[in-house]
Amino acid sequence: MEEGLKMIAAGLAIGLGAIGPGIGIGILGMGAMNALGRNPEARGPIMTNMILAIAFAEAVAIYALIIAIIMVFVA
Amino acid sequence: MGTIRSCWARLGRRNKILIITVVAIALMAVGRFCFPAPLPHVELPAEVIIPFAGAGITNTMLAALVTIIVAGLVCYFATRKMSLVPRGLQNLVEALLEMLINFINDTAGKEYGRKFFPMVATIFIFVLFNAWLSLIPGFITIGFWHHAEGGHAVIVPFLRGANTDLNFPLALALVSFFFVEYWGFKANGFASYVKRFISVEGMFKGLGQIFRGRVKSGVGTFFNGVISAFAGLVEIISELVRILSLSFRLFGNMTAGEILVLMMVFLIPWVVPTIFYGLELFLGFVQALIFGGLTLVFLVIAVSPREAH
Repeated sequence: MEEGLKMIAAGLAIGLGAIGPGIGIGILGMGAMNALGRNPEARGPIMTNMILAIAFAEAVAIYALIIAIIMVFVA
Repeated sequence: MGTIRSCWARLGRRNKILIITVVAIALMAVGRFCFPAPLPHVELPAEVIIPFAGAGITNTMLAALVTIIVAGLVCYFATRKMSLVPRGLQNLVEALLEMLINFINDTAGKEYGRKFFPMVATIFIFVLFNAWLSLIPGFITIGFWHHAEGGHAVIVPFLRGANTDLNFPLALALVSFFFVEYWGFKANGFASYVKRFISVEGMFKGLGQIFRGRVKSGVGTFFNGVISAFAGLVEIISELVRILSLSFRLFGNMTAGEILVLMMVFLIPWVVPTIFYGLELFLGFVQALIFGGLTLVFLVIAVSPREAH
């Protein structure tokens, strides 16, 4: 019973935690594609900045992932 | 052999895809039963392998040492027979450094780029070598057998990527933090950099005006001062949160990547983990770029002067 609850909690932690970053990365990709369409020569800087910004959004999902990993494997 | 090839050529595209899929699934199933991999045992804190003076040397520390040695050897062999027209290893190292220095100069400008280059490039190269070295087979698979509770044996690896131990990213983030603050103080001067974080003079000015009788303008100045004091507080917090977010980002990404590869090996031992190896190669590069790049961005923010309020 307790084991099952722990699994549900871990699944919810990473599942809910991935929603926001997913939306954020989608918006970021859209912005980068728009910029690329308007100005194809600026591919390099757009790419670098997009990856940097994606890392910021992704970090939130990583925090949720750490919580989920700790719940499943450690706690 | 010839008949097989002619049969293959006569098949339609759809049938080819179908056959490839069936063969891949068969390979996966056979691999699952012929070479079962154990369910990965995840241990978040690093394991001590050489007990020494109370604490001991952990496997991640050994891996960090190996990283330093490998990076040093690469640089040694790259610069041993230097030529004006680079070839081979020297060419590779020069290309990497040139990419880094262009990136840093583009972001920080020529003057500061030269000064920030050693730190940012060191962070980048260390994290990159660490991430890529821990993909070498044997890194988390060779070690002591250790009997855990519940009767099953788990492995305590000799080497485990230092990025997967929270202490190492934390140390790196602290170094980056102190470097950023040092440059903030050096470039702006002590008083003006402190003023960014502690700005209470507007508040006192407003209070003084109120006591001198100019209540109406005094209240306005006072509230503006309160707002800027609060903004300074937020600035302090955001400066400190960087340590946390930098270290957890690296640690989380690398640990998750390691667990992902181990899980894939457990689920489908053949063919499929290779794809995730490729993903890990890319992720290691991106994480190194992000750690170095964020340090660089924070440095640029710290040295660029603020407009006076």
